[in-house]
Amino acid sequence: MSLEAIEKDMQPNRPRDSDRKTRVHLPLFDRIKFFLLFILVFVILVWAAMANDPILKFHDAVINELNARWWLIALFVVEAVRQIHFGLAETLAPYHGGWVRYFAFVERQVARIGDWNRYRLSRLIKVLLFVVLLAVILGAIYKEAPVTALFMAPKALWSALPLLGQLAFAVFFIIIQFGAMFWFLSRGGIDTYFPDDIRTRFSDVWGQDHVLNRIRENLLFLESPEEIEKHGGYVPGGILLWGPPGTGKTLMAESMAGETGKPFVFVDPGAFNAMFFGVGVLKVKSLFRKLRKLALRYGGVVVFFDEADSLGNRGAAVGGGQGSFATRSPFLANACNGANFLSPNAASLVVRKAMSRGQEGFVANTAMAGGGGGMGTLQALLTELSGLKKPKGFFNRIVRRTLGLRPKNPPKYRILVVMATNLPEALDEALLRPGRIDRMYRVGYPSKAGRVRTYQGYLAKVSNSLTPEEIEKLAVITPYATGAIIKDTINEALILAIREGRTSITFADVIKAKQLKELGPAEDVEYIERERHAVAVHEACHGVMAYLVRHHMAIDLATIEKGSNYLGMVASIPPDDQFTRWRSEYEADILVSLASLAGERMFFQGDNSSGVSGDLESATTIASFMEGHWGMGSTVSSHASNRRFEVGAPGGGKPQGDDNKAVKGMLADRIEGNLEGLLNKAEEILALNRGKVLSLAHALEIHKTISGEDVTAVMTGEVGPLVDGRPYQDPAKIEEIERYHEAALRAHQGHQRPEISIPIF
Amino acid sequence: MNFRRGFKLSAVILGGALLLTSCGTPSQKYGSDSKDGVYFAVPNSWNQISSKDLASQEALSTVAGSSERLALVRYQVAYSPDPKIKAKDVLTLNTPDTPIVYARVRGLTDSEIQQVSYNDLRNLILPLTTWEDGTASSIPVYNVITDQEAVQKGGRGVHTVFAFTNNGVSQTINQTGLLSNDHRTLVMFVVRCSTVCYNKNKTEIEKAVASLTDRGTK
Repeated sequence: MSLEAIEKDMQPNRPRDSDRKTRVHLPLFDRIKFFLLFILVFVILVWAAMANDPILKFHDAVINELNARWWLIALFVVEAVRQIHFGLAETLAPYHGGWVRYFAFVERQVARIGDWNRYRLSRLIKVLLFVVLLAVILGAIYKEAPVTALFMAPKALWSALPLLGQLAFAVFFIIIQFGAMFWFLSRGGIDTYFPDDIRTRFSDVWGQDHVLNRIRENLLFLESPEEIEKHGGYVPGGILLWGPPGTGKTLMAESMAGETGKPFVFVDPGAFNAMFFGVGVLKVKSLFRKLRKLALRYGGVVVFFDEADSLGNRGAAVGGGQGSFATRSPFLANACNGANFLSPNAASLVVRKAMSRGQEGFVANTAMAGGGGGMGTLQALLTELSGLKKPKGFFNRIVRRTLGLRPKNPPKYRILVVMATNLPEALDEALLRPGRIDRMYRVGYPSKAGRVRTYQGYLAKVSNSLTPEEIEKLAVITPYATGAIIKDTINEALILAIREGRTSITFADVIKAKQLKELGPAEDVEYIERERHAVAVHEACHGVMAYLVRHHMAIDLATIEKGSNYLGMVASIPPDDQFTRWRSEYEADILVSLASLAGERMFFQGDNSSGVSGDLESATTIASFMEGHWGMGSTVSSHASNRRFEVGAPGGGKPQGDDNKAVKGMLADRIEGNLEGLLNKAEEILALNRGKVLSLAHALEIHKTISGEDVTAVMTGEVGPLVDGRPYQDPAKIEEIERYHEAALRAHQGHQRPEISIPIF
Repeated sequence: MNFRRGFKLSAVILGGALLLTSCGTPSQKYGSDSKDGVYFAVPNSWNQISSKDLASQEALSTVAGSSERLALVRYQVAYSPDPKIKAKDVLTLNTPDTPIVYARVRGLTDSEIQQVSYNDLRNLILPLTTWEDGTASSIPVYNVITDQEAVQKGGRGVHTVFAFTNNGVSQTINQTGLLSNDHRTLVMFVVRCSTVCYNKNKTEIEKAVASLTDRGTK
């Protein structure tokens, strides 16, 4: 194709304005619109005149109006001239060119005035035009010369002042109403305590000494900031106390209020929830105004936000976007050190995957976004915590500036922000950045020493006969007891004692209270003998297995009293504070779980009850985690990751067909294999300890509920608190128990009462 | 082409507008007191005698109560084909050779409101009823041509046409007196002329009288 052909084929460009020889043709409507408007106005005027005079004829009205409204004719003529001008410019190139050159010339002349001057000039012209127009209109209204009318206007304005005043009043009335309403709405939710208002001291907080020490340090900085500031540092501005509920975060804050010599401001969790948009922001502002005032007057102030998660967060979408979650690592679920050991990219990858799966333990997904006190409240809080340090106050800003002085910057407000939450994941990450909340302390479950101290503290408030050894033992058997739980247990023990007519509580009361709290009240159901025996054997299998293989846990109690959701149970507790778990321990857990199935099959000749379902579920769950997650099985790779990336299971290559099903199938096979092996092992152990199982079942049948020490007594032939284990060492007695079991087995098979009753030693 | 059509259309509009403005004068002159709702029209060629002239002429009157009445006048105007006719000619009974239209709207005094009657409306210019019942001291030669009730939206009254001899010349007066519905306003519309002139201009005079419209106060 030739060049010309290409050029010919090409669509011509729409010409630039400067390339045009003539003016662009006006559309029809644009050409006649002003004429139509003028005609419309004229018709309306004629119509008005005719409406005003019933005998006026149309023809006369038209002529009268034409005579009277000369200005309309003038406008009509001007528009006609304009259209003629346009018409010529659209058809005659020289004519159009002349005008274009003329306008360019004018443009050049105007451009000689500076932009700023031109702006001011145009503003002046606009003002003058407005005044002229006003004069003309007023002249028409007053039927006077326009200039005279202009001077008459102020008088009219003066006479209109009362009306304007009324209008202004109405406006101010509404504004004042709103102002007052918002002012009242922004009250409340904030309590201020002054030194000595609160009697709680650090010595009242037990079992959290490491956190207390850090808090004490912060208070010291608040009270003598020069210590750190003279060396160029700054006083930490915020503390976050986070941890499980009931561990004493609020109590700690209360003791801070008691210890510090500064005012203590307590902010309710719901303080920033408001019915109206913007009230939350007002509340934050008024809170910080108050804090600054207090800080200046008293040299410092502590503000405490309880349940800080109620402040909400802005969520992933609104917040820093992708990757921003790397900074959340302190709270990553399940990991010993969060994702801190990963690079930021890797950490964010893990977190995002976790979020997309809605992984348990990770709360801060987008569903939480926008929670809390309402839009803008959190942002207001963030800026108040570390926003612009702008000069404040009317005198400072306005008067000083008027006098030519520079406004003074505000002094350093010494505000210590303390927040407490049990959902740290729900907090906005911007809130937790250094400079806002500098220090984060985990208030965890109290240590054993802390629990001992807590028990001592609460027991000191009541009359009791517990020895220090018993208190020590209590601390051991209540590993995850928080201050709140301990307080409640002691109170329950006191109630039990009082119901029995005593005022002093004993160790037995506390144990009973603990069982009551943990297990709920027993249902007082009397089993028929053969079922009682079956349940006892089931629990005895668990008990014996736990005693023999689970050394990382101690048996707390064994019972065959039916509760709300169990027939009987063997409860164990970790004797020490332990933070790592091992393969051997998990295997022991599975053995204990599977002992019931193995035992029932062994003692009831292959029969087993549905009561093992819960045991099997926990055994399978642990086995699955061991195999797929914890590297305690035959493969190394994590099933969780395999499934996420759909790479298939290790060994045998990428499976065909339904990948997921294949992976699961292979995994399930491996788990089943592991469980079978452990079941066989359980059967072996129980077969070797048949006499012990029947002995423990016997003790359970006799006493219903026995403690871990009683279990030990049965196993070793010692004397326990409730059970005398010595008879269970006598082969004759074992023989007797065996005969009873045979009878119970026959009764079980024949659905009848056993021929002999349970032997009593 | 579109823009050609635009040209044509605007030319038509422009031409039409010019035609309208150039082709004439109104057919009539319209007098109106829109506040009291009184309207009438006279031929366009007639000249107006302004209310200002009429008022200053009336102020010269020495008749008892004339100044009070003048103060109550809300609207008055006169027309005549002859430009030589002045306010003085309007307000005297000298027989004119050319029709004179005199329209007047005024409020009534409190005593007038109490006692005004149709006969008072007949006696607006001359004591016609005393001529009729013979109680007048001197009765000129006269004849009543029309005497009928006039009813309009804004009020009601009497329309009377009569001729009488004044200084040996017969003059015809076509007068309409309307009392507003609330009895507080008097509308007076008088056309007079020598009888000869009246008959000559009868069509125009009757057309003017017929145009009188009283819509009443808005």
